[in-house]
Amino acid sequence: MWAAACFDMAIFEIKDLSFKYPSSEERYALSHIDLSIEKGEYITVCGRSGCGKTTLLRHLKSVLTPHGKRTGDILFNGVDISKVSLYDQSSKIGFVQQNPDSQIVTDKVWHELAFGLESLGLDQRTMRLRVAEMASYFGIQSWFSKSVTELSGGQKQLLNLASIMAMQPEVLILDEPASQLDPIAASDFLNTVRKINLELGTTVIITEHRLEDILHASDRVVVMENGSILAAGSPKSIGMELKEKDSDMFCAMPSPVQVFYAAGGKGDCPLTVREGRNFLSEEFKDEEPKVSSVDSGEEYDPDVKDPVLEVKEIWFRYEKDLPDVLKGLSFKLRKGEIFSIVGGNGTGKSTSLKCISTALAPYRGKIFIKGKDIRKYTSEELFSGILAMLPQDPQCLFVKKTVRDDLLEMLPRKAQDKEDRIREVSKVCEIEDLLSSHPYDLSGGEQQRAALAKILLTDPEILLLDEPTKGMDAFFKLKFASVLKKLKERGVSIVMVSHDVEFCARYSDSVSMFFDGAIVTTNTPNRFFTKNSFYTTAANRMSRHVFANAVTNEDVIELYMKNKEGKGDADGR
Amino acid sequence: MKFESYHPVINLIYFVYVIVCTVLFRHPFFVLCSFLSSFVYSVKLKGKKALILNIILTILTVPYALWYAFYNHFGVTELRQNFIGNSITLESTVYGLVLGFIIISVVMWMECVHDIMTADKWIYLLGRISPKCSLFLSIALRMIPRIKTRHKKVDDAQCSVGRGMRQGKFLRRIFNWFREASMVLTWFTEDLVTVSDSMRSRGYTLRGRTAFSIYRFDNRDRCFVLVMFFTISSCLAAHLLDQTNILYNPRIIFNPMTFMSYVFYAVYMLSCLLPMIVEIIGEESFRRSRGRVSGKNTKLEAGR
Repeated sequence: MWAAACFDMAIFEIKDLSFKYPSSEERYALSHIDLSIEKGEYITVCGRSGCGKTTLLRHLKSVLTPHGKRTGDILFNGVDISKVSLYDQSSKIGFVQQNPDSQIVTDKVWHELAFGLESLGLDQRTMRLRVAEMASYFGIQSWFSKSVTELSGGQKQLLNLASIMAMQPEVLILDEPASQLDPIAASDFLNTVRKINLELGTTVIITEHRLEDILHASDRVVVMENGSILAAGSPKSIGMELKEKDSDMFCAMPSPVQVFYAAGGKGDCPLTVREGRNFLSEEFKDEEPKVSSVDSGEEYDPDVKDPVLEVKEIWFRYEKDLPDVLKGLSFKLRKGEIFSIVGGNGTGKSTSLKCISTALAPYRGKIFIKGKDIRKYTSEELFSGILAMLPQDPQCLFVKKTVRDDLLEMLPRKAQDKEDRIREVSKVCEIEDLLSSHPYDLSGGEQQRAALAKILLTDPEILLLDEPTKGMDAFFKLKFASVLKKLKERGVSIVMVSHDVEFCARYSDSVSMFFDGAIVTTNTPNRFFTKNSFYTTAANRMSRHVFANAVTNEDVIELYMKNKEGKGDADGR
Repeated sequence: MKFESYHPVINLIYFVYVIVCTVLFRHPFFVLCSFLSSFVYSVKLKGKKALILNIILTILTVPYALWYAFYNHFGVTELRQNFIGNSITLESTVYGLVLGFIIISVVMWMECVHDIMTADKWIYLLGRISPKCSLFLSIALRMIPRIKTRHKKVDDAQCSVGRGMRQGKFLRRIFNWFREASMVLTWFTEDLVTVSDSMRSRGYTLRGRTAFSIYRFDNRDRCFVLVMFFTISSCLAAHLLDQTNILYNPRIIFNPMTFMSYVFYAVYMLSCLLPMIVEIIGEESFRRSRGRVSGKNTKLEAGR
């Protein structure tokens, strides 16, 4: 009886939790949260940025709990969390934050692994064993004695996870752990988390934008909105609930879920590409689809007349003795076009943008801007009105205490129409409400737009974007895309480097594959992604056996509807 | 195999011993011992770079001795007079030369220290005294390169909007530099919040912190301790028996040499060369064991 009670006991029990930051007058960051988390569960918490996910997770560990007014109870293993000792909380509740770099405390991998154990005051023998175990489990042996500066982002985040797992926690809380990683490193990391949950039975509570990687692994999904729980349930049923409530969280769901419900699917919802494929196969089991392709628009014309930007066989290497990063990269940019460059990590995509923005100089080849060699422009000419680049980390652009000051700083001191211009640009970038906040207090997507506003004040004709959607959630992506569209209408030409295949497929005019220092192929997004079989969107991967060229979710839904409508008519006759 | 692979405590004791001896002993033979062994060892560790530096340093001792003799006039053997009429003596020149050699020997030993005592070892040694102190050293070692890379990032970003450190007129550049510095500072203070969250969530504030070490004290280290004990006591005896110094003022007078003096010389020479010897023996036995393995393999293959 006692054993059964002990077994059933929830690891976390949140009862009517409400929380208000001292700075906000009315708005509750969390209101009336009731949630019980069982031992060994894998729970995904999702919701748009600023919905209170992080605040909720931080309440589960006393040292991280923000200051403010709090009501309600949180029980950890049946004991009020404030009464659980610091020692127990440190070892039993592991917390992984978003930024891989700033969580690492020490300079060496081995030291970082041992950091928590040192704090717990363990003796040398135990520490040696635990560190050895963790290094072996996570495959860290080969970089065990390295300095942390030599690691890649994915390795750093894995190290953070390993150094927490070394303390043998009962529960692992992860706050957007993969949002700063490239897709391959991200899915590696999330798979490791899954493995920990399956093999060690550690409870996992995770928030993440990239739902396609974690939804199928989770036992329960909790959707939050404005500080309260909107919906909770199994991943197979959560889409239905969101659809019924007409929540905008629905657009953050993975492609198979969106297609399934848009097609009016009932019952078990497909979560992975494989299940999505099976669903479509089942639907089109008996007949060939009558309409199997969408209009893919005009052919891509490789012969660009009067390009605003022309890159002609540039070669670049960082040091004399290092290998070449760019090997004869060439492309031409049309006026008013969104040109995306996709490709693997570390292939030199960002380097090529830096070469165009003159932060780096290629040792061979030429870059022409509006037909004139880039080296013939002075930096004043170039950067006031012609060229600007949005860096990967938007924080690199902020200097002042408020967004408004930051924007003002960008304008020449004697300009007359400062206020008007700021108003205009903040309207374009949809940051009117954020002007008086500190740039560092904004969420990732808001920072990205504020930074974009800042560089737009130089009125560039050519805009270079380096991973603009990194760490952005689905809504911010939509918003960002609408900003890009507005800019395009004004005739701004955009070069975008990205890992985000779905974003490029949906919003760009031409897409290029970057590999081994040069562009391999360029085409319109639809043709480009239809030809690829691995490096393509989830919608394309799940529908390619039925439809010829559906690349975005909308394409799949459109084709599905056309075929089913036709069928409906046939049945009617 | 390398002296580097010994326990950090051994490394530390050895270098303290050899540098203290170098500074204290003014007997020309002892000075020569230390000079030669530090010269050879630093070249073995760091190669060509150290060789060039050491040769330059060695040449510099001559002007140093001359400069010393120009200002110090003790001694009775007058060589000549300088232009203000002060005498330049043999004794002061020789003493200047000895001092010069001592100084460059210390410099060359420090080159070896730099190579052998990595940051990890200092952190370990500090951790023995206070785990918190060693942690701070480690955090500092992490922060400094991070600030540098951050500054590079900020500069790249600013370059791409025309406000980099290397763009515009002179005054503009200075202004841009301050802007970038302020950005890095803001980022740093923000970042510290995350770092401290990460530290506190892993129990940094708990009492009774220990320090993890990747080092082990094994039999090889114990052997080395025994040898060190022997050489240190021998040097101490030599020092107490006045064997490590000679008289330079007013006249150069050597202490009478006995059988024991030769023993002291030999032991000191040996101790200065100890890391070299250890490394050479290690390399030799490695080569031999490799030879044995490959010999076996060839035999096996021949047997097939």
